[in-house]
Amino acid sequence: MAYVRKDVSTLTASERRRFVDALLALKRRGEYDEFVRMHIDYYTADGEDGLRTAHMAPSFLPWHRRFLLELERALRRVDSSVTVPYWDWTRNRTTTSVPWTKDLLGGNGRRSDRRVMTGPFAYGAGHWAIKEGVTDGRFLTRDLGRSAAPLQLPTRGELQWALDDPVYDAWPWDSTVRKGFRNKLEGWGAGSGSASLKNHNRVHRWVGGVMLGGASVNDPVFWLHHAFLDLQWYRWQRAHRSHRYLPAEPPGVADAQHERVVARHQRLPPWDETPDQLEDVSRIYRYA
Amino acid sequence: MVVGVGGVAVGAEQQTGTGTAGPSRRELARGLLASAAALALAPVMAASRPVPPARSGGTSFDETYRGRRIQGVLLPRDGQHEGQLEDSSEGRRVAAGGEWRITIDGRPLHLMRRADGTWLSMVDHYTSYRTPLEATRAAVDEIGPGQRLRDLAPAPMGGGHPGHRTGGHDGVRA
Repeated sequence: MAYVRKDVSTLTASERRRFVDALLALKRRGEYDEFVRMHIDYYTADGEDGLRTAHMAPSFLPWHRRFLLELERALRRVDSSVTVPYWDWTRNRTTTSVPWTKDLLGGNGRRSDRRVMTGPFAYGAGHWAIKEGVTDGRFLTRDLGRSAAPLQLPTRGELQWALDDPVYDAWPWDSTVRKGFRNKLEGWGAGSGSASLKNHNRVHRWVGGVMLGGASVNDPVFWLHHAFLDLQWYRWQRAHRSHRYLPAEPPGVADAQHERVVARHQRLPPWDETPDQLEDVSRIYRYA
Repeated sequence: MVVGVGGVAVGAEQQTGTGTAGPSRRELARGLLASAAALALAPVMAASRPVPPARSGGTSFDETYRGRRIQGVLLPRDGQHEGQLEDSSEGRRVAAGGEWRITIDGRPLHLMRRADGTWLSMVDHYTSYRTPLEATRAAVDEIGPGQRLRDLAPAPMGGGHPGHRTGGHDGVRA
C-alpha cells in the first residue's frame, strides 16, 4: 500500500523526531554522505560535454524523484514509519517558520560565518559534521533570504506560471529553453542576477550556505525542497492529462542534443528505470 | 545506487585515478557516466557543438578580492588554437579553446559552463555569471571567513564509488 508524504508543517512532534532521528542514523552510518557525493557527481552542465541527467535536462524531475526514493528507502530501513516531508515554500516563507525550527532542521546561520547554531543539524549538537563539502568547513551553513542582498522565496504565482505550461519540456532541453514546465520549475532564467532565478533555483539561493553549492544535499532541507518539487510534477500531470514527459524519442544524430538528454524510454543513469517508469509512482507513495 | 552499468569495470577505471597526477574523481565519475551513456545510447557519436567564447576578461586573471588571492588562466589544449571546437567523445569538461584553471588562495575552484556561455562554480551552483572572473568573485563572496576550498576530487578510492553501496537494482516498477 502506498505511503504518504506530508506537508512538513503538519507533522506531529513524534513524526518530526522520528524523521530527524532517521536522518541522523544514516549520517552516522556514512550512508548520507553517499547521497551528497552522488548529487555532486551527476551535476553536468549544458555547456559541457556528456549526458545530462540531474540538472539542465528534462530528466531533472525523474532523476530527483528517484534520488528521493533512494533516500526514503534508506530512511524507512531505519524507521518504517518515516517518509520524506515536503516544504511548501509558497506558504512557509519566513526565516523562522517551518522547517527552520529547533525540532526540525534548526534555524538560520549566524551572521559571522553562517554557521547553523540551533537544532539537530547544528555542528555543536555533535551529529552533523560535513564531510563531502565544497569548503573545508565542517559545519552546516545557511544564509536564509541572502542577508547581503535580500531576495524572496518564489511566490505561488511564480509556481503557477510553471504549472500552467502544458508542455513538459522543449528543445533544446537545457537551461536556455524558455518554455516548458520543466525549466520553468527548475528555474534557469535569462541573464544573470536574482531575476534569472526561478522556483527551484531561487529556493537554493534563498537558503544559501551549503544549499547554494555543489554539495547542497548536506542540508537536509534539500529533500523537503525536492519533495515539494516532486509534488508539482504530480500536480502538473493532473492538470494536463494528455501531456507526458518529453522528449518521447531520443534526439537524432543530427541534433545537437543527441546523447545529451534522456528520452522517455531510455534508462536514466545511475538507475535502471526510465522516465516512463517514473512518471507514475502512485503505488509507492502519495502526497497528503 | 549502482553507477557502474552494463558491465563497466567500475573498480578498474577508478583505480587509474589513484595517482597524484591522475584525473579527479569528479572527472572519473563523468568518464563513467559518459561510458554508461555510450552503452545505453549506442551508436556512439562524437558530437561537437559550438560554445560561445568567454566574454571579456581575457585569458587570465590574478587579483586579490576581499582578501583572497584569485587566479585563473585559460589553458589551451595541446595542438589546438583558441576558439577551436572540441571533440566531445571523451565526455570531458572542456570549454572552447581550452580549460580554465582557477584557484582561490591556491585551492582549485571547479567551474562549469552553461549553454548560453555563462559560468557556474562549485560554490554557487544555481546562479551563473558572465565570465570566469565574475563566477570566481561570487564564489569568494560565499566562502565563509576562515574557510578554504576543499578539492572534492581526492577521496578514498579503494571502496569504490560512494554512490555504489546504498541501493541496488531494485527498480520502482510502479
